[in-house]
Amino acid sequence: MADFIQLLIAGLATGGIYALAAVGFTLLWQTSQTINFAQGEFVMLPAFFVLIGMSFFGMPFWLACVAALILSMITLGFMFKKLLVDPMLNHGTLPLVIATIGLAILMKEGVREFYGADAWPFPPLAEATNVTVLGAALSLQSLIILGITIGAVVALQLFLSGTRTGRQMQATALNPSVARILGIPVERMILYTFLINAALVMLAALLITPIYLAKFSNGELLGLYAFIAAIIGGFNQMRGAIVGGLVLGVIDNFTAVYISTQYRLVVPLVFLIIIILFRPQGLLGRVEERTV
Amino acid sequence: MATDDILTLEDVVGGYGKQTILNGLSFGVRRGAITTVIGPNGAGKSTAFKAVFGILAVKAGRILFDGQEITNRPPRQLIADGICYVPQGRNIFSELSVAHNLELGAAAAPPDFPLKQRMEAAMDRFPVLRKKAGQQASTLSGGEQKMLEIARGLMLDPKLMLIDEPSIGLSPILVGELFDLLRDMRSRGITVLMIEQNAKRALENSDYGVVLELGRTRIQDRAEKILADPRIAQLFLGGGLEPAPA
Repeated sequence: MADFIQLLIAGLATGGIYALAAVGFTLLWQTSQTINFAQGEFVMLPAFFVLIGMSFFGMPFWLACVAALILSMITLGFMFKKLLVDPMLNHGTLPLVIATIGLAILMKEGVREFYGADAWPFPPLAEATNVTVLGAALSLQSLIILGITIGAVVALQLFLSGTRTGRQMQATALNPSVARILGIPVERMILYTFLINAALVMLAALLITPIYLAKFSNGELLGLYAFIAAIIGGFNQMRGAIVGGLVLGVIDNFTAVYISTQYRLVVPLVFLIIIILFRPQGLLGRVEERTV
Repeated sequence: MATDDILTLEDVVGGYGKQTILNGLSFGVRRGAITTVIGPNGAGKSTAFKAVFGILAVKAGRILFDGQEITNRPPRQLIADGICYVPQGRNIFSELSVAHNLELGAAAAPPDFPLKQRMEAAMDRFPVLRKKAGQQASTLSGGEQKMLEIARGLMLDPKLMLIDEPSIGLSPILVGELFDLLRDMRSRGITVLMIEQNAKRALENSDYGVVLELGRTRIQDRAEKILADPRIAQLFLGGGLEPAPA
Protein backbone atom coordinates (compact mmCIF):
# COMPACT_ATOMS: atom_id res chain seq x y z
CA MET A 1 0.00 0.00 0.00
CA ALA A 2 2.78 2.40 0.93
CA ASP A 3 4.43 1.66 -2.42
CA PHE A 4 1.18 2.27 -4.17
CA ILE A 5 0.64 5.68 -2.57
CA GLN A 6 4.22 6.61 -3.28
CA LEU A 7 3.86 5.70 -6.94
CA LEU A 8 0.50 7.39 -7.21
CA ILE A 9 1.84 10.68 -5.85
CA ALA A 10 4.92 10.50 -8.07
CA GLY A 11 2.65 9.72 -11.03
CA LEU A 12 0.32 12.58 -10.25
CA ALA A 13 3.30 14.92 -9.95
CA THR A 14 4.70 14.03 -13.40
CA GLY A 15 1.13 13.97 -14.69
CA GLY A 16 0.61 17.47 -13.36
CA ILE A 17 3.53 18.69 -15.44
CA TYR A 18 2.12 16.99 -18.55
CA ALA A 19 -1.21 18.59 -17.69
CA LEU A 20 0.31 22.09 -17.65
CA ALA A 21 1.72 21.57 -21.14
CA ALA A 22 -1.53 19.93 -22.30
CA VAL A 23 -3.69 22.76 -20.94
CA GLY A 24 -1.66 25.30 -22.91
CA PHE A 25 -1.94 23.07 -25.92
CA THR A 26 -5.75 22.94 -25.78
CA LEU A 27 -6.02 26.68 -25.04
CA LEU A 28 -4.18 27.46 -28.27
CA TRP A 29 -6.37 25.02 -30.14
CA GLN A 30 -9.59 26.40 -28.72
CA THR A 31 -8.95 30.06 -29.41
CA SER A 32 -6.97 29.92 -32.63
CA GLN A 33 -7.06 26.37 -34.07
CA THR A 34 -3.33 26.19 -33.53
CA ILE A 35 -2.05 22.65 -33.02
CA ASN A 36 1.38 23.35 -31.63
CA PHE A 37 3.66 20.41 -32.28
CA ALA A 38 6.50 22.44 -30.81
CA GLN A 39 4.83 22.41 -27.37
CA GLY A 40 7.45 19.98 -26.00
CA GLU A 41 10.26 22.24 -27.21
CA PHE A 42 8.34 25.13 -25.64
CA VAL A 43 8.90 23.37 -22.30
CA MET A 44 12.51 22.56 -23.09
CA LEU A 45 13.60 26.08 -24.06
CA PRO A 46 12.74 28.14 -20.94
CA ALA A 47 15.04 25.90 -18.88
CA PHE A 48 17.89 27.10 -21.07
CA PHE A 49 16.71 30.70 -20.67
CA VAL A 50 17.17 30.19 -16.92
CA LEU A 51 20.59 28.57 -17.35
CA ILE A 52 21.73 31.37 -19.68
CA GLY A 53 20.58 33.96 -17.17
CA MET A 54 22.51 32.25 -14.40
CA SER A 55 25.73 31.35 -16.22
CA PHE A 56 26.10 34.19 -18.74
CA PHE A 57 24.62 37.06 -16.76
CA GLY A 58 25.40 35.81 -13.26
CA MET A 59 21.80 36.17 -12.09
CA PRO A 60 20.58 34.39 -8.98
CA PHE A 61 18.18 31.53 -9.69
CA TRP A 62 14.97 33.43 -8.89
CA LEU A 63 15.95 36.42 -11.01
CA ALA A 64 16.88 34.13 -13.89
CA CYS A 65 13.41 32.57 -13.57
CA VAL A 66 11.71 35.96 -13.77
CA ALA A 67 13.82 36.93 -16.78
CA ALA A 68 13.10 33.57 -18.41
CA LEU A 69 9.36 34.04 -17.84
CA ILE A 70 9.43 37.45 -19.51
CA LEU A 71 11.58 36.12 -22.35
CA SER A 72 9.23 33.13 -22.79
CA MET A 73 6.20 35.38 -23.01
CA ILE A 74 7.92 37.54 -25.61
CA THR A 75 9.33 34.73 -27.78
CA LEU A 76 7.05 31.72 -27.19
CA GLY A 77 3.96 33.88 -26.74
CA PHE A 78 4.03 37.13 -28.69
CA MET A 79 6.56 36.36 -31.42
CA PHE A 80 5.27 32.82 -31.95
CA LYS A 81 1.81 34.23 -32.65
CA LYS A 82 2.83 37.23 -34.73
CA LEU A 83 5.64 35.70 -36.78
CA LEU A 84 4.47 32.13 -37.26
CA VAL A 85 0.82 31.50 -36.38
CA ASP A 86 -0.80 34.63 -37.84
CA PRO A 87 0.88 34.39 -41.27
CA MET A 88 0.43 30.60 -41.50
CA LEU A 89 -3.14 30.36 -40.23
CA ASN A 90 -4.43 32.02 -43.41
CA HIS A 91 -3.23 28.96 -45.29
CA GLY A 92 -5.13 26.52 -43.09
CA THR A 93 -4.54 24.30 -40.09
CA LEU A 94 -2.32 21.74 -41.77
CA PRO A 95 0.33 24.18 -43.07
CA LEU A 96 0.40 25.66 -39.57
CA VAL A 97 0.91 22.22 -38.02
CA ILE A 98 3.81 21.58 -40.39
CA ALA A 99 5.25 24.99 -39.56
CA THR A 100 5.17 24.18 -35.82
CA ILE A 101 6.95 20.89 -36.53
CA GLY A 102 9.58 22.90 -38.36
CA LEU A 103 9.83 25.29 -35.44
CA ALA A 104 10.30 22.34 -33.07
CA ILE A 105 13.27 21.11 -35.13
CA LEU A 106 14.71 24.62 -35.29
CA MET A 107 14.46 25.08 -31.52
CA LYS A 108 15.92 21.68 -30.75
CA GLU A 109 18.83 21.97 -33.15
CA GLY A 110 19.35 25.61 -32.21
CA VAL A 111 19.81 24.69 -28.56
CA ARG A 112 22.17 21.86 -29.49
CA GLU A 113 24.27 24.23 -31.61
CA PHE A 114 24.35 26.87 -28.94
CA TYR A 115 24.47 24.89 -25.72
CA GLY A 116 25.65 21.46 -26.83
CA ALA A 117 24.13 18.03 -26.56
CA ASP A 118 24.91 17.49 -22.88
CA ALA A 119 22.34 17.26 -20.12
CA TRP A 120 22.82 20.20 -17.77
CA PRO A 121 21.93 20.08 -14.10
CA PHE A 122 19.10 22.39 -13.09
CA PRO A 123 18.41 23.79 -9.62
CA PRO A 124 15.63 21.83 -7.88
CA LEU A 125 12.76 23.60 -6.17
CA ALA A 126 13.20 21.47 -3.05
CA GLU A 127 15.76 19.37 -1.24
CA ALA A 128 15.72 15.69 -2.12
CA THR A 129 14.07 14.69 1.16
CA ASN A 130 11.10 12.50 1.92
CA VAL A 131 8.01 13.20 3.93
CA THR A 132 6.30 10.26 5.60
CA VAL A 133 2.53 10.22 5.21
CA LEU A 134 0.50 7.16 6.29
CA GLY A 135 3.65 5.05 6.24
CA ALA A 136 4.53 6.06 2.70
CA ALA A 137 7.75 7.93 2.11
CA LEU A 138 6.72 10.66 -0.32
CA SER A 139 9.31 12.78 -2.05
CA LEU A 140 9.01 16.41 -1.04
CA GLN A 141 9.73 17.36 -4.64
CA SER A 142 6.71 15.41 -5.90
CA LEU A 143 4.46 17.05 -3.33
CA ILE A 144 5.71 20.51 -4.24
CA ILE A 145 5.25 19.85 -7.95
CA LEU A 146 1.74 18.62 -7.31
CA GLY A 147 0.95 21.63 -5.14
CA ILE A 148 2.27 24.14 -7.67
CA THR A 149 0.43 22.43 -10.50
CA ILE A 150 -2.87 22.45 -8.63
CA GLY A 151 -2.29 26.08 -7.67
CA ALA A 152 -1.58 27.07 -11.28
CA VAL A 153 -4.62 25.27 -12.65
CA VAL A 154 -6.91 26.70 -9.98
CA ALA A 155 -5.55 30.20 -10.59
CA LEU A 156 -6.08 29.82 -14.33
CA GLN A 157 -9.61 28.54 -13.79
CA LEU A 158 -10.40 31.43 -11.44
CA PHE A 159 -9.09 33.87 -14.02
CA LEU A 160 -11.08 32.30 -16.86
CA SER A 161 -14.42 32.13 -15.08
CA GLY A 162 -14.02 34.76 -12.39
CA THR A 163 -12.96 37.81 -14.38
CA ARG A 164 -14.61 39.63 -17.25
CA THR A 165 -11.50 39.28 -19.40
CA GLY A 166 -11.41 35.56 -18.64
CA ARG A 167 -15.02 35.15 -19.66
CA GLN A 168 -14.36 37.07 -22.86
CA MET A 169 -11.52 34.63 -23.54
CA GLN A 170 -13.90 31.72 -22.94
CA ALA A 171 -16.44 33.28 -25.28
CA THR A 172 -13.72 33.65 -27.91
CA ALA A 173 -12.83 29.99 -27.52
CA LEU A 174 -16.44 28.81 -27.60
CA ASN A 175 -17.57 30.81 -30.61
CA PRO A 176 -15.22 33.38 -32.14
CA SER A 177 -17.72 34.69 -34.68
CA VAL A 178 -20.35 35.52 -32.04
CA ALA A 179 -17.61 36.95 -29.83
CA ARG A 180 -16.64 39.31 -32.65
CA ILE A 181 -20.26 40.37 -33.18
CA LEU A 182 -20.47 41.33 -29.51
CA GLY A 183 -17.42 43.53 -29.88
CA ILE A 184 -15.12 41.29 -27.86
CA PRO A 185 -11.56 42.15 -28.94
CA VAL A 186 -11.02 38.65 -30.28
CA GLU A 187 -7.47 39.25 -31.49
CA ARG A 188 -6.38 40.48 -28.08
CA MET A 189 -8.05 37.52 -26.36
CA ILE A 190 -6.19 35.12 -28.65
CA LEU A 191 -2.91 36.89 -27.86
CA TYR A 192 -3.66 36.47 -24.12
CA THR A 193 -3.98 32.70 -24.58
CA PHE A 194 -0.57 32.65 -26.27
CA LEU A 195 0.91 34.56 -23.33
CA ILE A 196 -0.78 32.21 -20.85
CA ASN A 197 0.59 29.24 -22.78
CA ALA A 198 4.08 30.76 -22.58
CA ALA A 199 3.72 31.12 -18.82
CA LEU A 200 2.44 27.55 -18.47
CA VAL A 201 5.35 26.04 -20.40
CA MET A 202 7.78 28.11 -18.34
CA LEU A 203 6.23 26.71 -15.18
CA ALA A 204 6.32 23.18 -16.58
CA ALA A 205 10.00 23.71 -17.42
CA LEU A 206 10.78 24.79 -13.86
CA LEU A 207 9.11 21.71 -12.46
CA ILE A 208 10.34 19.04 -14.83
CA THR A 209 13.90 20.08 -15.67
CA PRO A 210 15.33 19.31 -12.19
CA ILE A 211 14.15 15.72 -12.78
CA TYR A 212 15.14 15.22 -16.43
CA LEU A 213 18.01 17.77 -16.52
CA ALA A 214 18.19 20.44 -19.21
CA LYS A 215 18.73 18.79 -22.56
CA PHE A 216 18.01 19.88 -26.12
CA SER A 217 15.98 16.75 -26.84
CA ASN A 218 13.71 16.95 -23.78
CA GLY A 219 10.84 18.28 -25.85
CA GLU A 220 10.35 15.16 -27.95
CA LEU A 221 8.75 13.10 -25.23
CA LEU A 222 7.08 16.03 -23.48
CA GLY A 223 5.43 17.25 -26.65
CA LEU A 224 4.15 13.77 -27.39
CA TYR A 225 2.81 13.40 -23.86
CA ALA A 226 1.11 16.79 -23.93
CA PHE A 227 -0.52 15.84 -27.21
CA ILE A 228 -1.62 12.42 -25.93
CA ALA A 229 -2.89 13.94 -22.68
CA ALA A 230 -4.96 16.49 -24.61
CA ILE A 231 -6.50 13.80 -26.80
CA ILE A 232 -7.17 11.39 -23.92
CA GLY A 233 -8.90 14.07 -21.90
CA GLY A 234 -10.80 15.65 -24.74
CA PHE A 235 -9.20 18.11 -27.08
CA ASN A 236 -11.74 20.85 -26.58
CA GLN A 237 -11.83 20.93 -22.78
CA MET A 238 -9.33 22.42 -20.39
CA ARG A 239 -10.32 20.07 -17.58
CA GLY A 240 -9.96 17.23 -20.09
CA ALA A 241 -6.33 18.17 -20.61
CA ILE A 242 -5.80 18.19 -16.83
CA VAL A 243 -7.37 14.77 -16.36
CA GLY A 244 -5.53 13.45 -19.43
CA GLY A 245 -2.20 14.67 -18.09
CA LEU A 246 -2.74 13.19 -14.63
CA VAL A 247 -3.95 9.85 -16.00
CA LEU A 248 -0.96 9.70 -18.30
CA GLY A 249 1.49 10.47 -15.49
CA VAL A 250 0.03 7.75 -13.28
CA ILE A 251 -0.04 5.18 -16.10
CA ASP A 252 3.52 6.12 -16.95
CA ASN A 253 4.76 5.51 -13.41
CA PHE A 254 2.81 2.32 -12.78
CA THR A 255 3.94 0.87 -16.09
CA ALA A 256 7.56 1.57 -15.26
CA VAL A 257 7.29 -0.25 -11.91
CA TYR A 258 4.70 -2.99 -12.38
CA ILE A 259 5.27 -3.91 -16.03
CA SER A 260 8.65 -2.82 -17.29
CA THR A 261 10.47 0.41 -18.01
CA GLN A 262 10.85 -0.84 -21.55
CA TYR A 263 7.11 -0.59 -22.07
CA ARG A 264 6.94 2.87 -20.59
CA LEU A 265 6.20 4.54 -23.91
CA VAL A 266 4.08 1.73 -25.30
CA VAL A 267 1.35 1.71 -22.69
CA PRO A 268 0.32 5.38 -23.08
CA LEU A 269 0.17 4.88 -26.85
CA VAL A 270 -1.98 1.78 -26.46
CA PHE A 271 -4.20 3.73 -24.10
CA LEU A 272 -4.40 6.50 -26.70
CA ILE A 273 -5.47 4.06 -29.39
CA ILE A 274 -8.15 2.59 -27.12
CA ILE A 275 -9.51 6.07 -26.39
CA ILE A 276 -9.54 7.04 -30.06
CA LEU A 277 -11.34 3.82 -30.95
CA PHE A 278 -13.97 3.83 -28.24
CA ARG A 279 -14.32 7.42 -27.13
CA PRO A 280 -12.96 9.66 -29.87
CA GLN A 281 -14.10 12.85 -28.16
CA GLY A 282 -11.88 12.00 -25.18
CA LEU A 283 -12.73 11.19 -21.57
CA LEU A 284 -14.34 14.56 -20.87
CA GLY A 285 -14.63 15.99 -24.35
CA ARG A 286 -17.86 17.02 -26.00
CA VAL A 287 -18.73 16.08 -29.53
CA GLU A 288 -18.00 19.08 -31.72
CA GLU A 289 -20.95 20.66 -33.39
CA ARG A 290 -19.92 23.00 -36.10
CA THR A 291 -22.41 25.13 -37.93
CA VAL A 292 -21.71 27.60 -40.67
CA MET B 1 -33.13 59.11 -49.42
CA ALA B 2 -35.16 60.74 -46.72
CA THR B 3 -33.22 62.83 -44.26
CA ASP B 4 -34.74 61.07 -41.23
CA ASP B 5 -33.15 57.78 -42.26
CA ILE B 6 -30.87 56.39 -39.55
CA LEU B 7 -29.19 53.91 -41.90
CA THR B 8 -28.58 54.30 -45.61
CA LEU B 9 -27.05 51.85 -48.05
CA GLU B 10 -25.82 53.38 -51.30
CA ASP B 11 -24.98 51.10 -54.24
CA VAL B 12 -23.39 48.52 -51.97
CA VAL B 13 -21.48 45.74 -53.71
CA GLY B 14 -20.21 42.74 -51.77
CA GLY B 15 -20.14 38.95 -51.59
CA TYR B 16 -18.12 35.90 -50.65
CA GLY B 17 -14.85 35.44 -52.49
CA LYS B 18 -15.42 36.06 -56.19
CA GLN B 19 -19.16 35.54 -55.89
CA THR B 20 -21.02 38.83 -55.72
CA ILE B 21 -24.28 38.75 -53.75
CA LEU B 22 -25.04 42.44 -53.35
CA ASN B 23 -25.20 44.10 -56.76
CA GLY B 24 -25.47 47.77 -55.96
CA LEU B 25 -27.93 47.52 -53.10
CA SER B 26 -29.53 50.77 -51.96
CA PHE B 27 -32.19 51.39 -49.34
CA GLY B 28 -32.86 53.58 -46.34
CA VAL B 29 -34.07 52.69 -42.86
CA ARG B 30 -36.43 55.18 -41.22
CA ARG B 31 -35.41 56.30 -37.74
CA GLY B 32 -37.57 55.01 -34.91
CA ALA B 33 -39.50 52.57 -37.09
CA ILE B 34 -39.58 48.83 -37.67
CA THR B 35 -38.46 47.90 -41.16
CA THR B 36 -38.63 44.37 -42.50
CA VAL B 37 -36.46 43.09 -45.32
CA ILE B 38 -38.02 40.31 -47.34
CA GLY B 39 -37.07 38.50 -50.49
CA PRO B 40 -36.53 35.01 -51.84
CA ASN B 41 -33.62 32.83 -50.74
CA GLY B 42 -30.33 34.11 -52.09
CA ALA B 43 -31.61 37.66 -52.48
CA GLY B 44 -28.83 38.89 -50.18
CA LYS B 45 -30.82 39.75 -47.05
CA SER B 46 -28.41 38.27 -44.48
CA THR B 47 -25.46 39.31 -46.62
CA ALA B 48 -26.69 42.90 -46.48
CA PHE B 49 -26.77 42.74 -42.66
CA LYS B 50 -23.24 41.34 -42.56
CA ALA B 51 -22.07 44.10 -44.87
CA VAL B 52 -23.61 46.75 -42.62
CA PHE B 53 -22.09 45.17 -39.51
CA GLY B 54 -18.57 45.02 -40.92
CA ILE B 55 -18.37 41.23 -41.07
CA LEU B 56 -18.42 41.13 -44.85
CA ALA B 57 -16.19 43.44 -46.87
CA VAL B 58 -18.01 46.07 -48.90
CA LYS B 59 -16.25 46.29 -52.27
CA ALA B 60 -18.05 49.34 -53.60
CA GLY B 61 -20.68 51.79 -52.48
CA ARG B 62 -21.10 53.22 -49.01
CA ILE B 63 -23.10 52.79 -45.84
CA LEU B 64 -24.16 55.74 -43.68
CA PHE B 65 -25.34 55.58 -40.08
CA ASP B 66 -26.65 58.69 -38.38
CA GLY B 67 -25.13 60.80 -41.15
CA GLN B 68 -21.66 59.30 -40.72
CA GLU B 69 -19.99 56.95 -43.17
CA ILE B 70 -19.48 53.53 -41.52
CA THR B 71 -18.50 51.45 -44.54
CA ASN B 72 -16.29 48.51 -43.47
CA ARG B 73 -16.04 49.64 -39.85
CA PRO B 74 -15.28 46.75 -37.49
CA PRO B 75 -18.14 45.47 -35.26
CA ARG B 76 -16.56 46.71 -32.03
CA GLN B 77 -16.66 50.29 -33.35
CA LEU B 78 -20.17 49.90 -34.75
CA ILE B 79 -21.39 48.78 -31.34
CA ALA B 80 -19.91 51.92 -29.86
CA ASP B 81 -21.69 53.89 -32.60
CA GLY B 82 -24.99 52.37 -31.48
CA ILE B 83 -25.68 49.40 -33.73
CA CYS B 84 -26.23 45.85 -32.51
CA TYR B 85 -26.65 42.71 -34.54
CA VAL B 86 -28.59 39.58 -33.58
CA PRO B 87 -27.76 36.99 -36.24
CA GLN B 88 -29.83 34.08 -37.41
CA GLY B 89 -29.84 30.86 -35.40
CA ARG B 90 -28.51 30.20 -31.91
CA ASN B 91 -25.83 32.64 -30.88
CA ILE B 92 -25.52 32.18 -27.16
CA PHE B 93 -22.55 30.66 -25.37
CA SER B 94 -24.32 27.53 -24.22
CA GLU B 95 -21.63 26.56 -21.68
CA LEU B 96 -21.59 29.91 -19.90
CA SER B 97 -24.26 30.98 -17.45
CA VAL B 98 -27.22 33.10 -18.49
CA ALA B 99 -25.86 36.04 -16.48
CA HIS B 100 -22.43 35.76 -18.06
CA ASN B 101 -23.99 35.64 -21.53
CA LEU B 102 -25.84 38.82 -20.71
CA GLU B 103 -22.68 40.45 -19.37
CA LEU B 104 -20.87 39.74 -22.65
CA GLY B 105 -23.35 42.10 -24.32
CA ALA B 106 -21.35 44.86 -22.65
CA ALA B 107 -17.97 43.58 -23.88
CA ALA B 108 -17.42 46.69 -25.97
CA ALA B 109 -18.47 49.07 -23.18
CA PRO B 110 -16.19 51.82 -21.88
CA PRO B 111 -14.47 51.12 -18.52
CA ASP B 112 -16.84 53.35 -16.54
CA PHE B 113 -19.91 51.46 -17.78
CA PRO B 114 -22.36 50.72 -14.93
CA LEU B 115 -22.45 47.00 -15.66
CA LYS B 116 -24.26 45.88 -12.48
CA GLN B 117 -27.09 48.38 -12.92
CA ARG B 118 -27.54 47.53 -16.57
CA MET B 119 -27.63 43.80 -15.82
CA GLU B 120 -30.27 44.42 -13.16
CA ALA B 121 -32.32 46.53 -15.57
CA ALA B 122 -32.11 43.84 -18.25
CA MET B 123 -33.21 41.16 -15.78
CA ASP B 124 -36.09 43.37 -14.61
CA ARG B 125 -37.22 43.58 -18.17
CA PHE B 126 -36.74 39.87 -18.87
CA PRO B 127 -37.69 38.17 -15.58
CA VAL B 128 -36.97 34.69 -16.94
CA LEU B 129 -33.31 35.68 -17.27
CA ARG B 130 -33.19 36.62 -13.59
CA LYS B 131 -34.85 33.37 -12.61
CA LYS B 132 -32.29 31.36 -14.56
CA ALA B 133 -29.33 33.74 -14.19
CA GLY B 134 -27.02 31.15 -12.66
CA GLN B 135 -27.92 28.29 -14.98
CA GLN B 136 -26.00 27.24 -18.05
CA ALA B 137 -27.49 29.04 -21.04
CA SER B 138 -27.99 25.67 -22.76
CA THR B 139 -30.83 24.95 -20.31
CA LEU B 140 -32.96 27.78 -21.76
CA SER B 141 -35.73 26.97 -24.24
CA GLY B 142 -35.41 28.19 -27.81
CA GLY B 143 -37.60 31.21 -27.15
CA GLU B 144 -35.72 32.10 -23.96
CA GLN B 145 -32.43 31.85 -25.81
CA LYS B 146 -33.68 34.35 -28.40
CA MET B 147 -34.82 36.65 -25.56
CA LEU B 148 -31.34 36.35 -24.05
CA GLU B 149 -29.77 37.31 -27.37
CA ILE B 150 -32.03 40.34 -27.68
CA ALA B 151 -31.45 41.36 -24.05
CA ARG B 152 -27.70 40.98 -24.65
CA GLY B 153 -27.98 43.17 -27.74
CA LEU B 154 -29.81 45.84 -25.74
CA MET B 155 -27.17 46.02 -22.99
CA LEU B 156 -25.42 49.04 -24.52
CA ASP B 157 -28.60 50.95 -25.44
CA PRO B 158 -28.29 50.67 -29.21
CA LYS B 159 -30.01 53.10 -31.56
CA LEU B 160 -30.44 50.42 -34.22
CA MET B 161 -30.90 46.68 -33.93
CA LEU B 162 -30.29 44.42 -36.92
CA ILE B 163 -32.14 41.19 -36.25
CA ASP B 164 -32.05 38.26 -38.67
CA GLU B 165 -34.89 35.70 -38.72
CA PRO B 166 -35.77 36.06 -35.03
CA SER B 167 -38.94 33.97 -35.27
CA ILE B 168 -37.30 30.84 -36.67
CA GLY B 169 -38.15 27.77 -34.60
CA LEU B 170 -40.50 29.66 -32.26
CA SER B 171 -44.11 28.68 -31.58
CA PRO B 172 -46.83 31.04 -32.90
CA ILE B 173 -47.44 32.37 -29.37
CA LEU B 174 -43.75 33.12 -28.88
CA VAL B 175 -43.60 34.79 -32.27
CA GLY B 176 -46.39 37.07 -31.08
CA GLU B 177 -44.44 37.88 -27.92
CA LEU B 178 -41.35 38.55 -30.00
CA PHE B 179 -43.13 41.08 -32.19
CA ASP B 180 -44.60 42.69 -29.05
CA LEU B 181 -41.06 43.05 -27.78
CA LEU B 182 -39.85 44.62 -31.02
CA ARG B 183 -42.74 47.10 -30.93
CA ASP B 184 -41.91 47.89 -27.33
CA MET B 185 -38.32 48.58 -28.39
CA ARG B 186 -39.63 50.92 -31.09
CA SER B 187 -41.68 52.79 -28.48
CA ARG B 188 -38.41 53.35 -26.60
CA GLY B 189 -36.88 54.91 -29.69
CA ILE B 190 -34.90 51.96 -30.99
CA THR B 191 -34.94 51.48 -34.73
CA VAL B 192 -35.41 47.86 -35.77
CA LEU B 193 -34.29 46.39 -39.07
CA MET B 194 -35.43 42.81 -39.37
CA ILE B 195 -35.22 39.96 -41.84
CA GLU B 196 -38.16 37.58 -41.76
CA GLN B 197 -39.08 34.46 -43.64
CA ASN B 198 -42.64 34.81 -42.33
CA ALA B 199 -43.12 37.89 -44.51
CA LYS B 200 -46.83 38.46 -43.98
CA ARG B 201 -46.74 38.35 -40.21
CA ALA B 202 -43.56 40.45 -40.07
CA LEU B 203 -44.92 43.14 -42.37
CA GLU B 204 -48.11 43.30 -40.33
CA ASN B 205 -45.92 44.26 -37.40
CA SER B 206 -43.70 46.67 -39.32
CA ASP B 207 -43.87 50.25 -40.50
CA TYR B 208 -41.83 49.80 -43.64
CA GLY B 209 -40.78 47.00 -45.92
CA VAL B 210 -37.90 46.46 -48.30
CA VAL B 211 -38.10 43.76 -50.95
CA LEU B 212 -34.78 42.43 -52.22
CA GLU B 213 -34.15 40.34 -55.26
CA LEU B 214 -30.76 39.28 -56.63
CA GLY B 215 -28.90 41.69 -54.40
CA ARG B 216 -30.90 44.79 -55.32
CA THR B 217 -33.86 46.60 -53.88
CA ARG B 218 -36.98 45.94 -55.92
CA ILE B 219 -39.56 47.64 -53.74
CA GLN B 220 -39.28 49.96 -50.77
CA ASP B 221 -42.50 51.25 -49.28
CA ARG B 222 -44.78 51.35 -46.27
CA ALA B 223 -45.41 47.86 -44.94
CA GLU B 224 -49.16 47.86 -45.61
CA LYS B 225 -48.60 48.84 -49.24
CA ILE B 226 -46.17 46.01 -49.73
CA LEU B 227 -48.62 43.61 -48.12
CA ALA B 228 -51.26 44.73 -50.63
CA ASP B 229 -48.92 44.54 -53.61
CA PRO B 230 -49.88 41.63 -55.88
CA ARG B 231 -46.29 41.34 -57.12
CA ILE B 232 -45.14 40.13 -53.69
CA ALA B 233 -47.09 36.89 -53.85
CA GLN B 234 -45.63 36.30 -57.27
CA LEU B 235 -42.12 36.90 -56.02
CA PHE B 236 -42.48 34.35 -53.25
CA LEU B 237 -44.11 31.81 -55.50
CA GLY B 238 -41.06 31.95 -57.71
CA GLY B 239 -40.45 33.30 -61.16
CA GLY B 240 -39.20 36.66 -59.93
CA LEU B 241 -40.67 40.05 -60.58
CA GLU B 242 -41.59 41.36 -64.00
CA PRO B 243 -39.23 44.12 -65.09
CA ALA B 244 -40.33 47.23 -63.27
CA PRO B 245 -42.17 49.64 -65.53
CA ALA B 246 -39.96 52.51 -66.58
